[in-house]
Amino acid sequence: MRFMFPAAAAACVLLTACGGEKSSQANNAQANISADSRTADTAVATTAAMPAAAPATKDEALKIMHERHEGMEGMGKAAKAIGRELKSGSANLETIRKSAKAITDFAPHVLPLFPPGTGPDIAKTGAKPEIWQNPKDFEAKTIDFQKAAQAFGGAVAGSDLNAIKASFGDLGKTCKACHDKYRSEMHH
Amino acid sequence: MAKQRVWDLPTRLFHWLLAGLIAFSWWSIRAHHTDWHIWSGCAILTLLIFRLLWGFAGSSTARFSSFVRGPASVMAHLRGRWNGIGHTPLGALSVVALLLAIAIQVGLGLVSQDEDGIYMGPLAGLVSSDTSDKARDIHELWFNVILALVGLHVLAILYYRLRGKKLTMPMITGRAALEPGTQPMRPGKWWAALICLAVAIGVTRWVIAGAPPF
Repeated sequence: MRFMFPAAAAACVLLTACGGEKSSQANNAQANISADSRTADTAVATTAAMPAAAPATKDEALKIMHERHEGMEGMGKAAKAIGRELKSGSANLETIRKSAKAITDFAPHVLPLFPPGTGPDIAKTGAKPEIWQNPKDFEAKTIDFQKAAQAFGGAVAGSDLNAIKASFGDLGKTCKACHDKYRSEMHH
Repeated sequence: MAKQRVWDLPTRLFHWLLAGLIAFSWWSIRAHHTDWHIWSGCAILTLLIFRLLWGFAGSSTARFSSFVRGPASVMAHLRGRWNGIGHTPLGALSVVALLLAIAIQVGLGLVSQDEDGIYMGPLAGLVSSDTSDKARDIHELWFNVILALVGLHVLAILYYRLRGKKLTMPMITGRAALEPGTQPMRPGKWWAALICLAVAIGVTRWVIAGAPPF
């Protein structure tokens, strides 16, 4: 094992060296998610699941893009937490439900947060211009996601882990379908 | 000059499968086939473990003891005072660097998760979610190190080719024309190769299962 040891040690050093600052970032992100889902609730609840009109000013566009970024990141974090619970062998249903709520709450806000004029020509974003070139397809994909999120919300209300796993898998497919086509690699 | 054996079959298979799987890993993740990418990484893990064991139990040219040399040998080689078969002392440094870089890449991949929470490396559950994200970021950057080492490897082969020494064919056929008086390869045992492979597959399966305690 002469070879694997330095490799593993190097990987550990790399990981711990970068671990510290990340956790504080994560806490900030967590705080932002809850703040943002509140704004999302009040700002776009009435237009949920409908494509929104283009923002009037650049500031407004930036605000939407920021909210979108935080919301997407928050859902990603929630999905990771759920995936880890489901894989752990001792899944905590309460943790899963809490994270699931973060996803189901935000799901209806996805489409309205992609109005025209919030693409990569405005500011740095992983949203590809193709979103606004294929509005019908994009809309259909976000609706697929919303439906899958709703179904997942139903599954976690019960306590059948296999049903939750299956539903979580379906949900992941709808995330991926959209991301593969409409998200660029430059989205950090 | 009659051609003699320089590389055994397991070493050659390892080499070309590794090259192919690295290319496949690159392509599969670019094409968003994350599941294939993870399986490819696990296959590379098997190859690495096999090569590690074969480095102790294989043919003379496959053994680390035959090619991992100190700086004195490297200097002697650079001054043209080296004749043997297998990796040259300088080439050996490149081989070791490549193997280490790939081992680190596999290690990072094992503990990574994708950014959407859809895929987890088999060992991602052993570290925190934030660490997994960080590992993925480094995994992505680390590929450039591998790319640079592969580039160096190919350039060195081209350099030798210009000087009239063909290195690619021996890695395919296993044979090369040797200077008279050069010590030929001492072949390994076929059953030793099978044992190395079985152990490599066994360890990989254990890793895929999330490295459960015994």
